[in-house]
Amino acid sequence: MPKVTIDGKEIEVEAGANLIEAARRLGIEIPHYCYHPGLSIAGQCRLCMVDIDKAPRPTIACNTLAADGMVVHTETDRVKETRRSIMEFHLINHPLDCPVCDQAGECWLQIYYMKHGLYDPRMTDEKVHKPKAVPLGPHVMLDAERCILCSRCVRFCDEITGTGELGIFSRGDRSEIGLFPGQDLENNYSGNVVDICPVGALTDRDFRFQVRVWYLDTTKSICPGCARGCNIDVHVNRKRPHHAGGRRVARLKPRFNDAVNAWWICDVGRYGFGSVDDESRIRFARQRGQDLTRDDALGLVIAALRDHAPDEIAILASADLANEDLFALRRLAEHRGIRQVAFRVPPATPAADDDFLLRADRHPNSRGAEIIGLDGDAAAILARCRAGSIKVLWVIGHDITAAGWPARDVADALEHVGSIIYTGTNDNGTSALATLVLPLAAWVERDGTFTNFLGRVQRFRAAVEPLGDALAGWDLFGRVLGALGGPVAGGRAELWFRELARTVPAFDGLSYQSIGDGGAMLAGAAPTTAPEPPARRANAAASVAEVSR
Amino acid sequence: MAETVLMRNFGRADSHTLASYRGAGGYAAWDKAQTTEPAALVDEVKKSNLRGLGGAGFPTGMKWSFIPKSHTGPVYLVVNADEGEPGTFKDRYLLERDPHALVEGMLITARAIRSALGFVYIRGEYVQPWRRFSAAVKEAYDAGLLGRGFDIVVHRGAGAYICGEETGLLSSLEGKKGWPKIKPPFPAIKGAFGQPTIVNNVETLCCVPPIIERGAAWFAGLGTKTQGGTRMYSVSGRVKQPGVYEASVSITLRQLIERAGGVSGTGRLKAVVPGGGSAAILTADEIDVVMDVDGCRGAGTMIGSAGVIVMDESVSIPEALLVLARFYAHESCGQCTPCRESTGWIEKMVHRIVEGHGRKDDLDTILDVAKRGGGTTICAFYDGAIGPYISYVEKFRGEFEALCRS
Amino acid sequence: MSNGAPPTSSRPPTERAGLAAPATIKFSPEQLAEVRRLQGLYPDARGALLPVLHMAQDTFGYLSLEAEAYVAGLFGLSPAHVHEVVTFYTLYFQQPKGRHVVGVCHNLSCHLAGAQDILRHFEARLGIARGETTDDGRVTLQAVECLCACEAAPMAQVDDRYEMQLTPEKIDRILDGLR
Ligand SMILES: Cc1cc2nc3c(=O)[nH]c(=O)nc-3n(C[C@H](O)[C@H](O)[C@H](O)COP(=O)(O)O)c2cc1C
Ligand code: SF4
Ligand code: SF4
Ligand code: SF4
Ligand code: FES
Ligand code: FES
Repeated sequence: MPKVTIDGKEIEVEAGANLIEAARRLGIEIPHYCYHPGLSIAGQCRLCMVDIDKAPRPTIACNTLAADGMVVHTETDRVKETRRSIMEFHLINHPLDCPVCDQAGECWLQIYYMKHGLYDPRMTDEKVHKPKAVPLGPHVMLDAERCILCSRCVRFCDEITGTGELGIFSRGDRSEIGLFPGQDLENNYSGNVVDICPVGALTDRDFRFQVRVWYLDTTKSICPGCARGCNIDVHVNRKRPHHAGGRRVARLKPRFNDAVNAWWICDVGRYGFGSVDDESRIRFARQRGQDLTRDDALGLVIAALRDHAPDEIAILASADLANEDLFALRRLAEHRGIRQVAFRVPPATPAADDDFLLRADRHPNSRGAEIIGLDGDAAAILARCRAGSIKVLWVIGHDITAAGWPARDVADALEHVGSIIYTGTNDNGTSALATLVLPLAAWVERDGTFTNFLGRVQRFRAAVEPLGDALAGWDLFGRVLGALGGPVAGGRAELWFRELARTVPAFDGLSYQSIGDGGAMLAGAAPTTAPEPPARRANAAASVAEVSR
Repeated sequence: MAETVLMRNFGRADSHTLASYRGAGGYAAWDKAQTTEPAALVDEVKKSNLRGLGGAGFPTGMKWSFIPKSHTGPVYLVVNADEGEPGTFKDRYLLERDPHALVEGMLITARAIRSALGFVYIRGEYVQPWRRFSAAVKEAYDAGLLGRGFDIVVHRGAGAYICGEETGLLSSLEGKKGWPKIKPPFPAIKGAFGQPTIVNNVETLCCVPPIIERGAAWFAGLGTKTQGGTRMYSVSGRVKQPGVYEASVSITLRQLIERAGGVSGTGRLKAVVPGGGSAAILTADEIDVVMDVDGCRGAGTMIGSAGVIVMDESVSIPEALLVLARFYAHESCGQCTPCRESTGWIEKMVHRIVEGHGRKDDLDTILDVAKRGGGTTICAFYDGAIGPYISYVEKFRGEFEALCRS
Repeated sequence: MSNGAPPTSSRPPTERAGLAAPATIKFSPEQLAEVRRLQGLYPDARGALLPVLHMAQDTFGYLSLEAEAYVAGLFGLSPAHVHEVVTFYTLYFQQPKGRHVVGVCHNLSCHLAGAQDILRHFEARLGIARGETTDDGRVTLQAVECLCACEAAPMAQVDDRYEMQLTPEKIDRILDGLR
């Protein structure tokens, strides 16, 4: 492993690390635009210049591998002057429309100009003009004048998705980023180009003009969109909700995790949070259309569970619930001796895995539900409802009126059930038919953990307050359990997790500390890595074919 | 009288045909090379002091020796026939008048570097040279010279000066835009299609058969201490007999201008570009420079492609710079920021000055921008561009200032 | 690789098609065989992209977006990558061009020999500005960079030919010969 000295500090790095990465380990940031650790080296922006002993002039750090004994300086006068010059080159044709640019506040032109630029502008000639506000597809907007031609977005579409929609056309200062005329940027990962664009050239159509980024707060979370459990940051707008019509969650951004999703998330997940702030959210409990206080509603649930024989009660849990919720529910079922508990309700139209991150199972916690032991037979429950032997059906999160079951069977079943309790975040066909409805907090409104399909347990955290009377699942089930005289773990998600880890062997030894920000594997599960991007797999397959030819 | 090596066959009838080439003793060097070990061929070329004639002047034998010895996969030989440097036209003559010299040079080089496949990248505009050379390749196939361990693919470019830069050329050969590649890796390690590749200029490879046939010492003796041989100087602009002249690399610029009939127009010399548009300009007082790689380097310019452009007293230097500034802005591939942005900017400034709307501080800005950008780019295109930017303004500042508002 | 035949890459830009793009963008079976032969000459088939684009331009008159997409299909490339290539090189036309293309060099040596006057003479004779095509689709006029025949300045490329040492009279004769 090569040992290099950067600004007088020595560090050993793995073979193949470049100087930007080596410096990063030392807490030294070498400014750069075109380099991205998830993409090939392009060497185009020329900003990452450093001085290397014995080199006649500054060299780009991104294309220089750390070599044993190398001595590097990132802050010599010569390097600083070079950076200043390169910043000027980057900005001479830039429109400087920060006041109307969504990127303002997180723009690397602004940031580096303040740190490394600060020269007197002297370009007085007409700037090169290019197209502005061009929609590239459903999610991404292009302003070609703001583009610094770092080619990150092009390399993303070439090297990650392999879809190759973007190109840099023409040459010289007429060079322009764009799509083949008539084509759209429509792959399921298109939102990532917005994240990696260092400037305001690619912006998110969903986020555009909602709120200035400096009003946003960030919370570490997990995408609930599918069984992958991509690591994300939730950006919420607590300070200026009126700027976005009351919308609290402004956007989701990928959070690096090499074991799960690397730097990327899919568009299904990225844009899938709309239900959190929309009209259909259930804020208060209600019985046959009449609002109830939370305590009254809980009282009705408690009574229903207490006053019916266990085999007259069935629960359709959901794999959207957190491990903590599912464990509390299991405790409740055990305490009352309810054995008809299932969570796998078939979707109306089966989804498919895509070729990268997105899983066909669009629930974040099926693995957790399975291991915690709620894996009963949902179809059998439906059949028993139709047979009239179920008096209380508690549906959590699902819309069984829109599931992959014949509509007649479902209608028949619901007709035969005495009381239908619905608990969830949003209204749906089932909540409309339910006798009693209780609100659940959405995943961004509470703490918890999901277990992804490979057995990785990952934490998500509350970013905003629950709406109305909504409770987290563990809290709601815990209150019912407590009222029925059962063993309650406590008033925090973490306490339920502790109890879960003590009880279910697969979770043995796990704690919120040990899970941390990156997640931890269930006992016995093999460690994971993020999948190879489709384009890399294709290349690898091609070179294997090459070799075998 | 200087020895004629490269242009030895130009005067023969049908010099482009195999029969004519053979008649003049052609392919004898290849016969000799076939019984010589590859390493010995490389050594011979090293000893000849042959230096690349495409622009950079890199020692040819040394370049060949960079192919990794341990490499077992394919090695490619790529011929740079993308001649595009303003003021240069020698490769066109070679392709049209002595194409078999290049085929023979390629055969020997391929043996030296153990290559089984060569590409000849000919600029798209060169239709006649392309036909001539393709016909020669066909003759060589028919005669069994090619297709027995070595093949040649003739490739046409599509109009882009930057494809003369060797890695831009390789990108283009691979079916992409002519974006130069970042180095390292260098082509000898990872070049065309990801394999070790040697890129040489047409004229460079045409020197190889005579070296093998007549010996390294003879060739080295034709030139200077650090560069062997003769080379073809393209002389154009304000001279009485523009054309291509072969001379020892020890010739001076003054002698060369004399050979081209002396200065035309007013007859009074103002300035000369010694090595193609990208070379720094020399004033009338600076023409005693020896026209080899090191001689020109010592004079603060470069021999480059040896394209000599002569300007007499009546030539407007600011206008001449505008022509070149427009050229660089047009031809910058746009890949890296300093070159992409400042070639356009400098063209705008020079344009404004020539139109009479310049300010004196524009001149300082041009110099400062050019100097700051120098050495920061992916390829040498920009270092070439700043040669004229800086030298024209510094050496003829008065002429620029006269056009500026105060 | 030793297929005996000289593996030259493409046909020269002679016999240009007229202004209108053919209704269907499609190579003949013989041309498709040629595409495959060209692709086989390179270690990676993509190497044949420039030659095949030359072929497409010769066949279809210019490289319309349809032609680009068609060629992309022949190489299994994204059309955006073919568009990058087509927009990079000056010899590829994205718009219909004249039956003849005149490229007048205006680089340094030709400039010193009066290239601007030469260009103006072409413009006056053709009634168009540089960059334009005559209404009858006969001639497209361009100003181009050094064609590397500077010893014969001022000069121009007229279709496949280099026309050297131009004078107004010579230009008139050349234009009279273009149908
Ligand atoms: C902008 C630029 C243009 C160049 N154009 C040419 C050219 O037209 N022909 C050429 O042989 N070399 C050209 N070169 C030099 C090549 O990069 C390379 O050095 C040369 O082909 C190597 O061959 P040699 O060693 O035989 O000279 C150019 C270099 C640069 C930076
Ligand atoms: S749009 Fe953004 S990511 Fe793409 S090249 Fe331009 S600056 Fe880079
Ligand atoms: S792959 Fe799944 S977890 Fe990842 S972002 Fe998409 S929906 Fe969310
Ligand atoms: S220096 Fe100019 S020509 Fe060379 S890679 Fe950079 S932009 Fe392209
Ligand atoms: S980050 Fe190194 S050149 Fe852009
Ligand atoms: S300058 Fe016109 S051919 Fe070279």
